[in-house]
Amino acid sequence: MQKDKFFREIENVRHPNEKLVKTHCSYCGMQCGMNLRVNTSTNKIIGVEPRYDWPVTVGKMCPKGVTAYQQTNHEDRILRPLIRDDASLKGTKEGFREASWEEAYDLIARRFKELQTDYGKDSLSVFSGVSMTNEKCYLTGKFARVALGTRYIDYNGRFCMSSAAGGFLRTFGVDRGSTLPWTDVHETDCLFIAGSNTAECHPTSMFRVWAVQERGGYIIVVDPRETPIARRADLHLDLKPGTDLALANGILNLLIENGYTDESFISSHTNGFEETKALVSQFTLAYTSEITGVSQEKIKRAAEIYGKAPNAIVMFARGIEQQHKGVDNVSAYTNMALVTGKIGRPKSGVATFTGQGNGQGGREHGQKSDLLPGYRKITNPEHVQEVCDVWGITPEEMPNPGVSAYEMFELMKEKTIRGLYLLCSNPAVSAPNLNFVREALENLDFMVCADFYLSESAEYADVILPSVTWSEDEGTVTNLEGRIIKINKAQEPIGESKPDWKMQVELAEKLGKGKYFSHLKTAKDVAEEFRLASKGGYADYYGATWDKIDKQDGVFWPCKDEADKGTPHMFLDKKFYHPDGKAKICALPYRPPAEEPCKDYPLRLTTGRVVYHYLSGNQTRRIKFLRDMCPDPYVEVHPRTAEKYQIEHEELIKLFTRRGKADFKVKITEAIREDTVFVPYHFGHEKSINLLTIQALDPISKMPEFKACAARIEKIEREKVR
Amino acid sequence: MKKRLYIELENCIGCRSCLAACTQCGGHEERNRNYVYDVNPLVDRQTMPLMCLHCENPACARSCPAQAIQIHETGAVLSALVEKCIGCQNCTIACPYGIPKFDTEQNLMYKCDLCIDRTKDGIPPMCASVCPSNTLQWLTEEEIEQKEQQHKLDNDKWVASMPLEGRTEVKVNLPGILQGTEKLF
Repeated sequence: MQKDKFFREIENVRHPNEKLVKTHCSYCGMQCGMNLRVNTSTNKIIGVEPRYDWPVTVGKMCPKGVTAYQQTNHEDRILRPLIRDDASLKGTKEGFREASWEEAYDLIARRFKELQTDYGKDSLSVFSGVSMTNEKCYLTGKFARVALGTRYIDYNGRFCMSSAAGGFLRTFGVDRGSTLPWTDVHETDCLFIAGSNTAECHPTSMFRVWAVQERGGYIIVVDPRETPIARRADLHLDLKPGTDLALANGILNLLIENGYTDESFISSHTNGFEETKALVSQFTLAYTSEITGVSQEKIKRAAEIYGKAPNAIVMFARGIEQQHKGVDNVSAYTNMALVTGKIGRPKSGVATFTGQGNGQGGREHGQKSDLLPGYRKITNPEHVQEVCDVWGITPEEMPNPGVSAYEMFELMKEKTIRGLYLLCSNPAVSAPNLNFVREALENLDFMVCADFYLSESAEYADVILPSVTWSEDEGTVTNLEGRIIKINKAQEPIGESKPDWKMQVELAEKLGKGKYFSHLKTAKDVAEEFRLASKGGYADYYGATWDKIDKQDGVFWPCKDEADKGTPHMFLDKKFYHPDGKAKICALPYRPPAEEPCKDYPLRLTTGRVVYHYLSGNQTRRIKFLRDMCPDPYVEVHPRTAEKYQIEHEELIKLFTRRGKADFKVKITEAIREDTVFVPYHFGHEKSINLLTIQALDPISKMPEFKACAARIEKIEREKVR
Repeated sequence: MKKRLYIELENCIGCRSCLAACTQCGGHEERNRNYVYDVNPLVDRQTMPLMCLHCENPACARSCPAQAIQIHETGAVLSALVEKCIGCQNCTIACPYGIPKFDTEQNLMYKCDLCIDRTKDGIPPMCASVCPSNTLQWLTEEEIEQKEQQHKLDNDKWVASMPLEGRTEVKVNLPGILQGTEKLF
């Protein structure tokens, strides 16, 4: 299936006393195929071997992928449950003692019950993540609502994919991150890539990206920084952080003015064109250029290239999504595909680069405060009934919608939420406005953290439960294409660690809810129930059996039944998922970033990833190769800006925003706008740039504006040498 | 069918996956043997790998007084034989590209052996297997020939190696591969 020009039949190397377990990487949404090398006498993972026959990545891996196996038997693994009796040590690594699972479960069950008796069901909360299998994501939603009975569950996708989800839902009526398989990417004629540092964040896309240029196609990159992909792009639109909406409207205006529209597509398959046309007509070249800081010639050329391209794909990522208008940005860039009719056919469409491994699947099946499995709405009585039928509860027992991830911290601060079950996430690094978030965590009466390393967030826990790495369990993940794939188990859990689904089943039993959970004895059992729970929802996984996933090299959802092979290309029939079958072209007025530069904070601060680290760095900072390559954060400053502040390369400076301050080493580079500074976010404690980022939330997706706020640099005056 | 390591410098994104993967080759004792450089770090993000080119008449082997550096029948210039290497470091000085590395504790030179465990059986070396940007590729002579046709430079020189060391097993394509590309529209 989908063996393209990059595919080669290659035998793997097999060393004596080793077996290869085919699986995928633990990290980003690319979910690169890999073989884990397992020593057959010790049954331990000892290395990695390329998986040449995986059609998406054909053996390729980034440095995180190559070294991912080193997580499993790492010396920092938590091997037994840990309990901390002295709450005054919260926020530190100190005071934990090893305990039995029995003692840990008993303590959790007792404290959870006490809190719910004293303060009501909703005094508990679950904060989850999507770097884990669909089965775990699904069960976490059920655990919160059925075992704990709380409305407060949300997840770290609010800091990652929620704007893409919101934008696609509004525009298409369905949220599948890519309308086409990645094997189309190199065959298109123009890639319009906005807010994606693809070479660092999704490196294994790059062989397909470069191939577009080799065929004579074009790459257009929108980014405040000249990233590695921007450096070689045909056109780099170097906009001010947080001004994407103006750029997208300006380009849309040019596409319409210059006759690149597909009138018959617009009239047959879309709504909202006239209204949008009227709105974007204000975005003249001069006006767009003034807001965005991009030259008029570049904007004009971008519209011309995209407009002329026989096939084109609009792609974007967190750069445009992590803004307080992230949803609008997604819809606005997607407008380009709709007015030109470059969607709903092979080699043309729209895609977001999913950040987390299961950023796609994990947002579909009920970890979000208002969602139930299969992308069902908790506010829709029919949807609630369908899920209740699978779970064996009554609709009256189904909790109400809760609040978004960041808003949960606000409720912790004001003591509405008093207990937290945290898993698969490290918000003490990854959330914005960290001084506030860390206080909120400290303010909890009782906190449980399930993780395989002692993360910065685990430092606030009363009980830490040792979970397993991805390689010690099995299940499915949905990659950035919308392809459901299979993660395989390569070794037994080390120490007494357990998969999250198992902890939740056992905890549910302790909480007296065993009848809803005890039948789930294996990951496969959870998978079977999960398929059923998704059945009939529009993210329908019912037909995606593990068998089919294996045979077909993955299954694209929706996949409704056994005979259904899945849906690699969306909208081939030009039917969108709104009730009238049409997509919505959205008229979106421009809003500036929540915080614009001013006299006191004259610079624009933006944040992002480096190729060596993943998310909060809780995993990658422990891997020697990756740590050696990038041990500390830094602030990228343009040489002319550095001159203004009299600061030098590698000098330690203080960076301030209205919310916090931190010291960073200066990295001078011409590859950034003069008015902008950049700091990678993977670092903990006093090195977290999120101490400075702003909590301004998108009204629809509740995504914080990580990508733009106002900042000030201060030189640290050294004592004069006498 | 003979395959060669082929390097397309223009594609490099500086991820250093090749270095991480180098440690994964069975015979490499988890030490990487090549280099990736930031070309002009204060200016832009251009990077380039520096790999052993496996010269046909390698200066490292010629300079070795102990014949510790063998050339495999595939043409790969191997790492120093543990039992022969005397730790004189002549090779590290002789190599025009600075490829051989030296382990002071073991008093032993080590270098890229083109993953001989793999390439002797026609399996691509680890670096070219994982390279996300196709900077490092493992190609047949015909495929390299095609590349040569495709990427004609303005100066009409398709440079395979520097004259310094004559012919090399590894073929390199310098930046500028897109200069001869005709745009689709």
